[in-house]
Amino acid sequence: MNRVGVLDAIKANRKISLVSRFLGGNSVILAFVVIVVLSSLMSPDSFLTKPNIINIFRQVSIIGTIALGMTMIIITGGIDLSVGSALVIVGAATIFVMNHTGNMLLGLATALAMGVFIGFINGTIITRGRVTPFIATLGMMATCRSLGLYLLDGGGISARSSNYSLIANGRLFGVSYPVYYFMALTAIMYIFSRKTRLGRYMYAVGSNERATHLSAINVNRVKTLTYMLGGLMVAFAAIIETSRLNSVSAASSGSNYELDAIAAVIIGGTRMSGGKGSVLGTFFGVLILGILNNMLTLMGVSPFLAGTVKGLIIIISVLVQKND
Amino acid sequence: MAEPLLLMKNMKKRFESQVALDGVDFRLERGEIHALIGENGAGKSTLMNILGGIVAPNDGEIFVQGRKVAIASPVASRRLGISFIHQELNLVNDLAIYENMFLGEELRTWSGFLDERAMCARTTEILDQLDVKLDPRELVGKLDASYKQVVEIGRALLRSTQILIMDEPTSSLTEHEITHLFKVMRSVSGNGVAIVFISHKLKEITSICHAYTVMRDGAVVANGNLADPGVDEEYLAGLMVGKDIASIHFYEPREIGEPVLEVEGLSRKREFEQVSFSLGRGEILGVTGLIGDGRTELFECVFGDKPRQAGRIRVHGVERSMASPTKAQAAGLGYAPRNRKENAIVKDFSVRDNITLASLRQFVRWPFIDSAQEQRHSAGHVQALNIKVSDVALPITALSGGNQQKVVLAKWIEAGADILILDNPTQGIDVGAKAEIYRLIQALAKAGKSIIVLTSEIPELRKVCDRVLVMYHGRITGNLTRSEATESRIMMYATGAASAEFNTTA
Repeated sequence: MNRVGVLDAIKANRKISLVSRFLGGNSVILAFVVIVVLSSLMSPDSFLTKPNIINIFRQVSIIGTIALGMTMIIITGGIDLSVGSALVIVGAATIFVMNHTGNMLLGLATALAMGVFIGFINGTIITRGRVTPFIATLGMMATCRSLGLYLLDGGGISARSSNYSLIANGRLFGVSYPVYYFMALTAIMYIFSRKTRLGRYMYAVGSNERATHLSAINVNRVKTLTYMLGGLMVAFAAIIETSRLNSVSAASSGSNYELDAIAAVIIGGTRMSGGKGSVLGTFFGVLILGILNNMLTLMGVSPFLAGTVKGLIIIISVLVQKND
Repeated sequence: MAEPLLLMKNMKKRFESQVALDGVDFRLERGEIHALIGENGAGKSTLMNILGGIVAPNDGEIFVQGRKVAIASPVASRRLGISFIHQELNLVNDLAIYENMFLGEELRTWSGFLDERAMCARTTEILDQLDVKLDPRELVGKLDASYKQVVEIGRALLRSTQILIMDEPTSSLTEHEITHLFKVMRSVSGNGVAIVFISHKLKEITSICHAYTVMRDGAVVANGNLADPGVDEEYLAGLMVGKDIASIHFYEPREIGEPVLEVEGLSRKREFEQVSFSLGRGEILGVTGLIGDGRTELFECVFGDKPRQAGRIRVHGVERSMASPTKAQAAGLGYAPRNRKENAIVKDFSVRDNITLASLRQFVRWPFIDSAQEQRHSAGHVQALNIKVSDVALPITALSGGNQQKVVLAKWIEAGADILILDNPTQGIDVGAKAEIYRLIQALAKAGKSIIVLTSEIPELRKVCDRVLVMYHGRITGNLTRSEATESRIMMYATGAASAEFNTTA
C-alpha cells in the first residue's frame, strides 16, 4: 500500500469510527430499527400506536433505570446480581420510614441512602475483600431478599399516604412520569460516562485495571463508586416501582430484575469483560427487550415463551457483536 | 555436498505495510545446533513461525530433506518432524509429566481407557535417553524451570522430531539450570536432531552452537560456522546491531545536579534487601542484572505499587510514604512498566485518552472534562515526541510498539513527573524506534528530568546511562560509572561473582 493509500484508509477508518461511536460502538441501533420495522409489519394496527409506544416506554422504565447503573458496573469489568433484591429492601425501608414519620422526603432520602449504602458494601467486599463481583453480589442478592422476607414477614408493606403514589402515577402530555425519569437519567448517565473524570476512569479500569492502577489512579475507589452509583440507580428504580404500586412485596418485587438488566446491557453491546460499551447502547437494549415483550403480547404468544425469545435475542446479539 | 535437512529459500513476508522478511535464505544441517541471532524485530520469530506453520509466507520455498513442502498449519509442521518450544512453555502445571508428554496424543488400552502404564514407560525411556532422572507421575508444576524445558524437549522427541526450535530457552533459567539444559541439548543433537537456538545471549551461543545465522531488519546479514576464524561474541554483536546504530553516539555528558531521589535500606521479603542508592537531577541511572535480580520488584515498590517492609524514600529531600502509585505521582515520579501491553496501555482508549490518563484532574472544568484542552495538550506531545499518528483520537492499538512507548512517556511528562522510571523501555521495539527512544531519554535528561532505566541489555546501558547499578538476588552488588561499566565487569557483579563497596551518593 502506498502512502496516500494508507492515509485514505485511515481517513475512511475514522469516518467509520465516528459512525460506530455514535452507535455506541456496536450495531444495537441497527437491530433496534430492524425490530421496529418488523414489529410494525407484523402488527400494523396495534404496534405503532401512540398508547402502545408510551406503554412500552413505561414498562421498561424501571428495568431501564437499573440497567443504566449496571452498564457502568459491567464497563468496569464487574457485575451486580443484587439489584433485584436490593430494590425490595430499599422499597420496604422507604415505605416503612414514610409510614412512621409521615414525611415523604425523609422516605426518599432513606431510599437513596440505602441504595448507595448497599452499593458501598458490594464495592467494599469486592475491592477490600478481593471477592469476585459475581460471588460478592450473589451473596448480597441472597441476603437482601432474605432480610426483606424476614422484615416483611414474607408479605408486603403498603404506603399509608396516597401522596407517595403521585410520584410515579401521573401523566404529562399523556406520558407517564416514569418515562420522563428514565429519559432524564439516561441523559445524565450518558453525559456522566462520556464527560466526567470518574466516567473515564470506569472505562479505563474495565479495559486495563493494571495500567490504570499504575497510572496513579485509585482503582478500588473507582470500583466502589461504580457500585454505589449502581445502588443509586436501584434506589431510583425502587422509588418508581413502589410508588407505582404504592406497596412492595418481599417475595415477588424485583425478581429477575438483575437478569433483565444484564440482558439489556449485553444487547446494548457492552462488553462483558469491561472497557467497552455505552449507556446509549443500553437504552436501545432496554427498548428492544420492551418491544419484544410487547410483540409477544400483541401476537397472543404464551407469556411462558417470553423467556425463550429473550434468551435467543441475548445469544444472537452477542454472536453478532463478536465481529464488532 | 549432501542435501541439508532444511532449506528455506527466498522467504518473504509482509505484515500490512511493514516488511518482516525480505528474501531470507536459511539452511540447517542434521545434528547441528544453529544459533539464530538478531535484535527484536529482526525477523527471527517470523521466520520460525513460518516453519512452525503459524504464519504463512508471501513468497519463498521450503525444502525438508530435499523435498519441497508447504507448511500450512502447526499440524502440518509437526508431521514434518518440526517441534517449536516457545519462550512461554506450553505445559499444564496441574498435570503429571507423562500426561503433559502425551497431551492430545494419549495412548489407550484396547478398552478405550488411558494406558497410563505404557505412557509412563515411554516417558521414562525418553527421559533416560536425555539422561534425566524424573518420576513420570510427578506434577509438572513442581519441577524447576530447566526440567520444564526438558519435558518440552522430551515431548518433541516423543513426536520423532528432526528439527527442534527453541525460542530463548534460557531467559528464565539460572546459571546452573542452563548448564543442565545445554547437556540435554548436546545429547539430543548427538542423536541427529537439528536444533535452532534463538537467543540474545552471545556467550551461550558461542559455548553451545555449531553454526549461526544473523538477521537484521528482515534479512540475513551473515551466516557460517562458529568455528570459523574471527567469529567471536564481539563480531556477532557488531553484526546484530549493525554498524549504523552501533556507531551512533546517543550519549552526551550533562551536568548532574543535587540528589532528587534517595532510597535507603529498602527491603521486601524474598524480593530485595537493604537497597540504597540515590539519583541526581538530570542523571540517567541504569539498573541491570540477570533474571531474579529483583530490579522490577524494587521499582514497583519505589513507585508505590507494592508495600515495603523496611527502608526510606526521600524525594527532593522530603521523606515520602509511597503507599500507592497516586502518592508516588504526587511526589513527582512517573513509571513506564515492562510488558507495555499488560501494564501500561489502555487498549480501548485513544492516543489522547492514554496521554491524559495520569493527569486527567488538571483537564477538568468541573464537572466536565475539557476535551479541547485535552486535544491541544496531547497533540503537543505527539509533535514534541514525534509520535507517528495522524490523529490523537485514533486508538492506541493502531500505533507501533515504539510509538506506544512514546505515548506512555508523554503520559508522565503531561503528569509533570520529573523522575521517570523506565522498565525495559525498548521491549518489542524495532531498531529505528529504539534509537528514537534513546535520543528521547537523553533529551529529557538534558531538560532536567532524572531517569532510571531498567534493562537487561548491556549495550543499551552503554548508549544512554551516566551510571549503572548492578543487582544480584535482590541486592545491589555494583555501582559503576559509565567508563567502568564494561560488559565483563557488569556480568561479574550480575552473577554474584563480585560485590563492591560503593558509596550511595551520586
